[in-house]
Amino acid sequence: MAEKGISKDLIGTKLDRYEFDVERGKIKEFCQAIGETNPIYFDVEAAKKAGFEDIPAPPTFPTVIQFWGYPKIWKDMENMGVDTSRILHLKEKYNYVKTLYPGRVSSQGECVNVTVGKMDTMTFKTTIKDAKGDTVIEAEMSIFIRKPEQ
Amino acid sequence: MSKIEFDKYEVGQELPPLKVDPVTHANLVRYAGASGDFNPIHNDPDFARKTGLDGTIAHGMFVMAQIGRLCTAWADQKQIREFGVTFKAMTKPGQKLTCSGKIKRKKEENGEKLLTVAVEAADESGEVKASGELVVVC
Repeated sequence: MAEKGISKDLIGTKLDRYEFDVERGKIKEFCQAIGETNPIYFDVEAAKKAGFEDIPAPPTFPTVIQFWGYPKIWKDMENMGVDTSRILHLKEKYNYVKTLYPGRVSSQGECVNVTVGKMDTMTFKTTIKDAKGDTVIEAEMSIFIRKPEQ
Repeated sequence: MSKIEFDKYEVGQELPPLKVDPVTHANLVRYAGASGDFNPIHNDPDFARKTGLDGTIAHGMFVMAQIGRLCTAWADQKQIREFGVTFKAMTKPGQKLTCSGKIKRKKEENGEKLLTVAVEAADESGEVKASGELVVVC
């Protein structure tokens, strides 16, 4: 495998802005994949009865927006010097400003921190906005890159 | 899922735990498709071994999603303000996770009543795979 590496110069790098349609069917599929069974995620009427406007996206659904909405992330990371076969997820944090419902969202990620040395890590901050431009969710993801074995 | 009332909870009180079925390859393939995270370390054992792992590992976000189920089984999702975890260990197929939570802090801030819950997922040997915090607004 080619020699790769990241540097602190990447801090402030913005990824492309993109749009994604959050669909009820995608929410159901995601909920089935995680073993979720609460009817509010599958049935609009159940969701409305529970006080939601529509089927809500469950708490970790933003990951769907990030991967399905922006599959270019893998290539971007390779271009930044990340060996994507050696990344592991270190941290994920969500700040929920509004409930995420089906509809079009727009999103953009930015590299906000890099550490190099004993442990190489990168942190990306992503803001997800609704069609009106209001922030719905702020996500912060940190990854670390495993070093090749000695 | 019900509306969480601030006064009904004390620091140290525990959430009803969530027991998850053992993680299978099929779970991870399905999760890859649903989430869009097709990193082959999660679904291709040969590829995973080539990168120095001893087989495929679960997506961290699959584990976080299980903790998320614990949270939404307990609180009305509309009350959830923050949810974050740090991944501590890899989860492998065959392992059985239990998600748990304990009230860590109660505070009133800017007219809001906030409950912070320490949450985690651990396997049968007690190894913690991910731990973090949930903040609900009451």
